[in-house]
Amino acid sequence: MLPATERHRVGLAWAAAVLVLAAATAPAVGVSRDEGAYFVAAESYARFWRTALGAPGQALALADRLYAPNHEHPGLAKGLYGLTHAVLAEGLGVASHAQGFRFGAFLFAAALAWLLALWGRDLAGRAGSLVAPALFFLVPRHFYHAHPAALDLPVTALWVATAFTYRGSLARRGEPSAYVRWSIAAGLLFGMAVSVKHNAWFLPPLLLLHWLAAEVAPHGRGTLAGRLRAVPLAFPAMLVLGPVVFLATWPWLWHDAGARLREYLAFHLQHVNYSWTYLGTVMREPPFPVAYPFVVTALTVPAASLAAMAGGLAQSAARLWTAARRRAGDVSISDELLLVLNALFPILLIAWPTVPHFGGVKHWLPAMPFLALLGARALTTAGRLLSPRRAGRLTAALAALALVPAAWAVAHVHPFGTAAYNEIAGGAGGAASLGMQRQFWGDDMVAVLPALNEHAIPAARVWYQEASFDAVRAYQRDGRLRADLRWADGPESADVSVYHFHQEFRDKEFATWSQFRTARPVAGAYLDEVPLIQVYARAGVWR
Amino acid sequence: MPLPPHHGPSWRLGDVPPPQLSPLERALARVRDALWPPRAVHGAALLAAAVAGLGFAGTLFQATLSARLPTELDWRAVSALIERDARPGDAVALSPMWAERAREVLPERLAAYPESPLVVMAYPRYTRAAEDLVGVRRVWLVSLPRAPGATGQIAADLAARAAAADGPQRLGAIEVTRYDLESPVIPLAWLPDRLASARVSVGGRPCALDAGGVFRCPAPPWVHVSREVREIEYLPRACLYAHPGSGADAPLVIEFPDVPMGRVLRGHTGIVGEAMLAGNAPVRLAVTVDGEEVGAAVEPPRSPGWHTFQIDTTRHAGHGATVAFTVTASDTWQRLFCFEAMTLP
Repeated sequence: MLPATERHRVGLAWAAAVLVLAAATAPAVGVSRDEGAYFVAAESYARFWRTALGAPGQALALADRLYAPNHEHPGLAKGLYGLTHAVLAEGLGVASHAQGFRFGAFLFAAALAWLLALWGRDLAGRAGSLVAPALFFLVPRHFYHAHPAALDLPVTALWVATAFTYRGSLARRGEPSAYVRWSIAAGLLFGMAVSVKHNAWFLPPLLLLHWLAAEVAPHGRGTLAGRLRAVPLAFPAMLVLGPVVFLATWPWLWHDAGARLREYLAFHLQHVNYSWTYLGTVMREPPFPVAYPFVVTALTVPAASLAAMAGGLAQSAARLWTAARRRAGDVSISDELLLVLNALFPILLIAWPTVPHFGGVKHWLPAMPFLALLGARALTTAGRLLSPRRAGRLTAALAALALVPAAWAVAHVHPFGTAAYNEIAGGAGGAASLGMQRQFWGDDMVAVLPALNEHAIPAARVWYQEASFDAVRAYQRDGRLRADLRWADGPESADVSVYHFHQEFRDKEFATWSQFRTARPVAGAYLDEVPLIQVYARAGVWR
Repeated sequence: MPLPPHHGPSWRLGDVPPPQLSPLERALARVRDALWPPRAVHGAALLAAAVAGLGFAGTLFQATLSARLPTELDWRAVSALIERDARPGDAVALSPMWAERAREVLPERLAAYPESPLVVMAYPRYTRAAEDLVGVRRVWLVSLPRAPGATGQIAADLAARAAAADGPQRLGAIEVTRYDLESPVIPLAWLPDRLASARVSVGGRPCALDAGGVFRCPAPPWVHVSREVREIEYLPRACLYAHPGSGADAPLVIEFPDVPMGRVLRGHTGIVGEAMLAGNAPVRLAVTVDGEEVGAAVEPPRSPGWHTFQIDTTRHAGHGATVAFTVTASDTWQRLFCFEAMTLP
């Protein structure tokens, strides 16, 4: 057994490494559509809390106005982004505005790395703590999501944290004070998770299913009182603390809570289905193919890492099977089920044919840390079984075989994480030939900013298309895009048109050809020769 | 129960000789004994083999990827070659069709023939059924043969239509092959090019030609006629945009005078962009030659595609005639209609 201090040292080393790496590589990552809106919201929410510190009554009066931006999502993550921006960019002046907001996201990524190291250590010792975070973060799309001040990686971190503390509470049932502490932590972290993104509301039913399957079913029926006493304290903690944290961190709900909660639910229950290209088809309406999240996972996670994760799932299934047949006393059915359920549920949820299918892997991102944990354990087990005397060396060799191409892919694709495909797909080119979504969110704009700055005539009107108004403002605010460039709503009123390749929007590109009387781009960004974004200009406006 | 025979069992050792296994059978038996029943170590070995194999493959993929793709110098070489050797009637095809960096690199017009645009095509197929290739005599296929996702389908399509081929010529990671089409489709008149000389009216009221070459009609602003390139089922199509006017009593009429006629009038119809999946009514395109209706095409709603129509005009062949197209729809919502037509010998 590693001493607890070393356990934490490895975790903290991982957290620091991810924090530094994310911060160092973030400036290359463009501002996505959603992120631009979150920047605006974060700054507005920060203004609320700053006012609340000095004049709570005034803040209450301002809550509706200051929390109106992006009020379809709860406030915690954006509040943190507002805080880090206020401190780093506005207070200390040590970061750009975008980097200031994003620092909050880096903290979530670091926390996730720390959790993966801790849980990986619990599962597979030192090797587990070293390999599990690497298996997760050395997936190009996961690495990408460590950068933007968005919601997907933060909710993933908090999902894992909630499951980790729930597991910790179950393991400490014999120690009353620790049991209460861990249960309360689970409740608070669940509250934080739902205060970041709505998909965390699925956690309690999932954990309840876990408890019923792992703890109740095997032990048969008891008296009602006995069964109620056996309910883990984490559940009432989530039931009580979850909504408290949710409400406390989202002042938008402090007025007219009922109507606004109904609006929040309606928004997410009837979410718009964005067009999404998948295997040569533009999906628009349900029913969507059940295979979608499985296929996209198989085509985006580096193949050797994918094999490790699949091996981990198979190993877990085998352990559950042998434990169920009472042949393996050392297997914790509770731990195995917790890992397997969390590794599969988010993917199965998106596989449901009426759930909107868009956004690449981000909507089932909470599954991936659990697959990384299982993969890390599988590699460690393989090393031990195949070479008991040199288990460490063999595990290290296997991990290197999985992680070297993965790290290479991360470096190769950066900063176009939403365009990343693995070697099974054939990279960006193979995926384009397969008819997969090339990219999304409009953050590839960052690649043509230098060309726009250098060549567009003064006060040129630019049709940015997929780059949102807020994203363009963010670039201009940080001095990355000339402030004199003006906004255009379409090719008719534009001097310059920026086309982000989306199959469903191709008419925007061709209409530009017609308006500008040219089909020749003046600049572009390509990933392995696959066009991601191309810039067109009217005659005389491109110097 | 009967007693066993006093002389012992009814068989003797040696009666049934042990099976004689071949070396191969013995080896297989050893493998079977080693693998069955399955044990944890088998799973570990399988995982290690998969991770090792895929890890090597992944590393190899990353290590060789850049060599499979063209450099800037390769692209410049292709551009210089085509600039030097292409001539009017030539077009460029791309393989894979996503290799559209070519649009940025290749000249849009040839220096020696500035009046002739060099069209860069990015279509999935080039069979006769798929693409007419109007006005194209020779196709320069610019291919990235070793790029991930590359296939020989486009080259095969073009080869099947070619009388002769020159190449492939390798320029770094790019191959250039010139195909001389066996039966190029050379129209007597391609009508979108004649829009400036057309007369356009809606409901009998004339539409005025503006400085941008667009006929603006006395109707809602979307009722206009212009020569455009628009997306029809995700592909670029040069066409006449002709959104019908409201109601059956407001037909949009586009009349081309003095069109040289041949034996066939051929064209395509389609609905632009996402509107291909919307709309409630078909669009009818009636064709008259010198006032006589010779045929019609119907573009049904929610039927994506660049639909071909062909009308026999043998009676008018060899003469100049006025060809008129009348666009109508009973419900004009989302009827972003585009069509092209040509007369063929």
